[in-house]
Amino acid sequence: MEHVLEIGRLYPVLTVPRGATLNSGRGNDAATIRAVAAGDEDAFSRLYAGYVRMVHAILLGRVPRRDVDDLVQDVFISAYTRIGELRDAAAFGGWIAAIARNRATDYLRQSREHVELPEELPGGDPIEAETLAILDVVRKLPEAYRETLLMRLVEGMSGNEIAERTGLTPASVRVNLHRGMKLLREKLGWQRHE
Amino acid sequence: MSDDYLWDGSGTPDPDVQRLEALLGRLRAPLAGAPAPSLPAQPIRWRTLRYLGPALATAAAVLVMIGLTLRTTRTASSWEVASLAGQPRVGSSALAGTGRIAVGQTLVTDGGSQARMTVGTIGQVTIDTNTRVRLVATRDGHHQLALERGTLHAVINAPPGQFVVNTPSATATDLGCAYTLHVDEDGAGYLSVTSGWVALELHGRESLVPVGASCRTDAKLGPGTPSYDDADAEMRRALDEFDLARDPTARSNALRVVLDHAGPGDAMTLWHLIARVDAGDRAAVVDALAELLPMPAGVTREAVLRLDAAALDQWWNALGLGEASWWRNFKAPYPAGASR
Repeated sequence: MEHVLEIGRLYPVLTVPRGATLNSGRGNDAATIRAVAAGDEDAFSRLYAGYVRMVHAILLGRVPRRDVDDLVQDVFISAYTRIGELRDAAAFGGWIAAIARNRATDYLRQSREHVELPEELPGGDPIEAETLAILDVVRKLPEAYRETLLMRLVEGMSGNEIAERTGLTPASVRVNLHRGMKLLREKLGWQRHE
Repeated sequence: MSDDYLWDGSGTPDPDVQRLEALLGRLRAPLAGAPAPSLPAQPIRWRTLRYLGPALATAAAVLVMIGLTLRTTRTASSWEVASLAGQPRVGSSALAGTGRIAVGQTLVTDGGSQARMTVGTIGQVTIDTNTRVRLVATRDGHHQLALERGTLHAVINAPPGQFVVNTPSATATDLGCAYTLHVDEDGAGYLSVTSGWVALELHGRESLVPVGASCRTDAKLGPGTPSYDDADAEMRRALDEFDLARDPTARSNALRVVLDHAGPGDAMTLWHLIARVDAGDRAAVVDALAELLPMPAGVTREAVLRLDAAALDQWWNALGLGEASWWRNFKAPYPAGASR
């Protein structure tokens, strides 16, 4: 069931600023990406550690939980084999995020062609029904809100980290978090504590 | 209320955000601390080859050799997997016929599918229905799976310690053998050995399970106490009760049943119990084991009671299940609590 969203003043901020560069603390990413392109597996491990939470959040917002981990692996392997196509190392975050979104779309298309498995297979630690119910609501939020909230609430990334990884400006992330949280409260029927 | 807490967790905590963090944080990426996936070869960018001119032939030959090397590398970091029934899934793709599973990928079978994985050159693992298993590592001398739920049957012909299966309640290390390993939805497990030995371990608690024996594992306890499949049923029931009981009185009562029903073939089980029982019950176990299997020369009751490693070693050797020094080369067989 799709929810009707109040688009308008809540329109998500999703644009990546033209010419955006990697933020402070990640100045070495460009060198890391060049090293990955040269086949340096240690550099790839560093890149993986830096971006795995972002990729995980993007996929978790789109595909069944049971397949998220495998798709994360697919995304990074795809990024590794295609990294020569990346012209601007500063755009890596947005680039791998796009790979993740495309991989999720492919997965959903393929899934329709095969026998459907239950949405959430049991396994590992039991996830409470409330967690899955809230995840279901978050998944129905607009993309920018959904992804930003999952990075913050699931992966524990700070607003600045989200901005650094995604290439969004901190102001955009702040808006996405604020508006996304507001919309999520409404969907859940929660009143904000003042 | 400001959005500082929502932004980075600073400022006055927002109860709604805290609640969402607590609930949704359970879904956090388990891969964050895990190694990056095994890498395939990067593709050759053909457009750059146009400019190579006369050197192209030589370069092509070199590239072929490099390609073969990379192909070998890629193959070495994955296993062949074949569908035996139904349509298992490898990663996010359905498996029809044969394929490969790479390090980091998961094989999932449903109620109607089964699969078989080839463990490098050392053996095979059959994946039963309703099973989820992940390939953790594969390289010369070390192959590792994580069995999250379901059942696998392993047949391994390799030196001890090369094939390892992680489960939520124990790590099973192959000692050159064949076995069946099952994991319930709650993480509890059951190991049954049909050839050789398997070592189970969790947080320092270890059990050695020989051919013809089986052992339960518990997510909190780790490996239970192994027993032979043809042992007295009442003894085995009491053994499970002993392993899982928290109350000292209940443990003592269960232990008494175990000792009363232990037969000549249960020395291996009693040996495991020496270091697992409460101190007040240890003498009874030692004496019961001594009735089944006399202490070898040089081993004293006092040394065993204080869990002296050398004494336990020698008594173990008397079981006729292999020299303790041999086990020690890759995994010490002492139950938790033994002095080394």
